Amino acid sequence: MGTDSSANPDAISRPSTDDVRAWEIEFAAAARRPLDQRMKYAFIRTYKPVLDDAPFRSFASMRDYREWCQLYLPDWLGYGTV
Amino acid sequence: MGRFEYRQAAEIRDAVARHAVRYLFIGKSGAILLGFPDTTQDADLFVEKSPVNGDRLIPSLREIGFDLTDDQASDIRSGKDFVQLKNGPFDLNLIFAPDGIETFASAWERRVDVDGFHVCSIDDIIASKQSANRQRDRESLPRLISFRDWLKKNQA
Repeated sequence: MGTDSSANPDAISRPSTDDVRAWEIEFAAAARRPLDQRMKYAFIRTYKPVLDDAPFRSFASMRDYREWCQLYLPDWLGYGTV
Repeated sequence: MGRFEYRQAAEIRDAVARHAVRYLFIGKSGAILLGFPDTTQDADLFVEKSPVNGDRLIPSLREIGFDLTDDQASDIRSGKDFVQLKNGPFDLNLIFAPDGIETFASAWERRVDVDGFHVCSIDDIIASKQSANRQRDRESLPRLISFRDWLKKNQA
């Protein structure tokens, strides 16, 4: 993806014009599909280590949840706060 | 446990409607309902935090197949900020206080209804992801923001 966040690593990267153009074609195509079909393509199922290993978890605050993600989930899952 | 499908989304929608639960789809699952073409694994519900709403939510979840113990039901009823359910037909996150959104009432005012599903506005979904600032959010935000721009242009 042709994005640029070199000026400020904390900023959300800005997509290139080509990216935006390609995405807009996808958005328009998706809008022509009925909702049940869109959902069929959108929801996938893969095993996520640790996260999928308990049937129930609850956290008193979002802060507790974020800390738990940071401490216990593998980095590559992407749940850690930047 | 299976993939979340339209049939299951409709089951949630109908069960929570029967019990008059106040909820909004949020996160990427919400964006997908608004038309965002992307993939995700679980459904995220922003649920109004109130004892009455909590009481209504428990039977809805049990009706659609979530196997909740009394202790787990109590956690949900008491409105823990975040509850992760993997003891039902699909993965479901209950979020009572999402990052970046001040109140449920304000998000409710801005909601979009899609086929009977109550969904957070695309602005609220983006605000929540910006505020959470996780690696996975940062990766999806440029495309999500482009989708918002496209949506507004095409709705106008």
